[in-house]
Amino acid sequence: MTTFFQFVVVGISTGSVFAIVGMSLVLVYRATGIVNFAQGVFAVLAGLLTYSFVQHMPLALAAMLATLATALVATLVAVVAVGFRGRTTHLASLIITVGIAIFAEAVLLAAFGEVPRSYPAISDRAWEVGGVLIQPQYAVLALVALAAAFLLTLFLRRTIVGQALVASADSPRAAELIGLNLRSIAVIAFAVAGALTAVGGVLLAPTVPVSYSSGLTITINGFAAAVFGGLVSIRLALLGGYALGVLQQLVVGYVDSQYSLIIALLVMLVLIGWRSRGELAV
Amino acid sequence: MSAELAAQGRAARRRRVGAARVAALVGATVFACWLPFQLELGDVGLYDRMGLYALVAIGLTLLMGFAGQVSLGQGGFFLIGAYTSGLLTMGLDADTRLVDPQAGIDPLLAVAIAPLVTAGIAVVIGIPLMRLRGHYLAFATLAFALIAWSLLYAQDSFTGGQYGVTVTKRLVVAGHEITGATHAAVVWGLVGLALLLSTNLVSSRVGRALQAIAANEPAAAASGINVALYKLQLFVFAAAMAGLAGGLFTFFAQFLGPEDFGIIVSLLFVVMVSIGGLGSVYGAVVGAVTIVYAEHKLRELGTHETLLGWDLPSTAPSILSLGVFGLLLIVIMLFFPHGLLPGIAGAVSGMRRRLSRRSTP
Repeated sequence: MTTFFQFVVVGISTGSVFAIVGMSLVLVYRATGIVNFAQGVFAVLAGLLTYSFVQHMPLALAAMLATLATALVATLVAVVAVGFRGRTTHLASLIITVGIAIFAEAVLLAAFGEVPRSYPAISDRAWEVGGVLIQPQYAVLALVALAAAFLLTLFLRRTIVGQALVASADSPRAAELIGLNLRSIAVIAFAVAGALTAVGGVLLAPTVPVSYSSGLTITINGFAAAVFGGLVSIRLALLGGYALGVLQQLVVGYVDSQYSLIIALLVMLVLIGWRSRGELAV
Repeated sequence: MSAELAAQGRAARRRRVGAARVAALVGATVFACWLPFQLELGDVGLYDRMGLYALVAIGLTLLMGFAGQVSLGQGGFFLIGAYTSGLLTMGLDADTRLVDPQAGIDPLLAVAIAPLVTAGIAVVIGIPLMRLRGHYLAFATLAFALIAWSLLYAQDSFTGGQYGVTVTKRLVVAGHEITGATHAAVVWGLVGLALLLSTNLVSSRVGRALQAIAANEPAAAASGINVALYKLQLFVFAAAMAGLAGGLFTFFAQFLGPEDFGIIVSLLFVVMVSIGGLGSVYGAVVGAVTIVYAEHKLRELGTHETLLGWDLPSTAPSILSLGVFGLLLIVIMLFFPHGLLPGIAGAVSGMRRRLSRRSTP
């Protein structure tokens, strides 16, 4: 039983990253209607930047700088992905973000090499609760995901900017009529989501080393988490991320680590198929 | 009466234009099949690969152009087609594969089964997904391709894992061994056939329905077109084309390993289609030829020790091809969302019109 709970604890920590990326995807989708295929790249970029910065400065400062830099890159991605008004469809935007993800792999490979990178965790001690080892890093990851879900929900429901984000995706024309600039809305959404995913990446790298090509797996796991909530619910994306992480760890523990991604993807395929009963293409 | 005659005349004219087009296509196909016998051995491989990828791109461009759906997992169908024909030919039991010459079935039959398998998979994936917005199919097909690719490693006793499967048997049709230039000729013959079928399809009843769907989906649905069914058929057709290309790839490479089927292959098919224009089958062929050639040249460039005075790392070939293709996809989708070739053609004709207007005031 102790090993089972150990798997659950590790699963919740990796699942937190999926949840964070999933919630970021939901935020961008709700604000712009775009599914950002390059979202996972932000996690990788932040992780690799922190790895480079930490050689010269304390970890906290390195992490902060990396997060800021990633948010800046995310605003650039926003401008490119949104494209031209009336000419770039949402499907074209998706393909543009696919292009950005491919291009980013080239840049990351050129800048950081192909070796997966990692750096020391927040603390190398671990708490023991009833035989289950809990690393502080795991706890921080889970808490950050939880806090992000709470703050994002508040942001979208209670703040003017959040309401503007939701409104502009619900009805772009009406949003423009009341004076919202869709491009700046997209930039805000991408920047917030980019910073959030960057925090996830910074916290992920000490537990799972990241390399230039990790972005794709992170994106697709995040998308799977977001699909739990139909790409619109922050809360369900959080739960989806946790569930996906725990499921993957249980497969690693009791079946075979090679099947962990396969089973997670199968779950996502079934979920998408199940969703298709409700939502119809427009 | 006269209106009827005029209609008949129009129909006859259309048939004549159709016949001329078919004749041109047949001529081009004959040339494409003759060409590999004139090429050097190294170039035949490149040429063959262009044809194989063109088969996949033709299917994908119809899906993207008419169904408004994008598949990021055509490489997965290509993979399954290749391994289906390879494993069926060499025997499903890995232990007897290279020892027992009787293990496995006839290569030609195996190639024929490959597209049926991928079409079957596409039906299962496609039924729930074709009714959803585009990004669901994009991610589902990507997930499918990732699953297929991961299974190569997870089921390594069956697929050979990273060491792959060597296919020792040759594809033989009516006593002729289909290898080298002959293989390339067969592949390009099939490309010609696929083009002929697709252009006929586009101008048939089915094609008019597809065009209606592409132009205005709710209106098409309102006039009684079963939109989801047509989209599903396109998806299944695209999967079958990729499966057929994969099945033929087996007897082109005579070896199957994971490197030829990475996720980037799936994404490259999307780049090929966006170069040629969404929905343009001829454009898809041009896109496939361009990408295969460009990848070959970039790989060559990347293996140099230095480039423009810069020392190149060992990862340079990957950096160059990922960078160029990623950038290409971004630029095309931003500035020429209907395809690079149609975009350039439109810009040229627009400029010519402007010039002629200026010269005749």
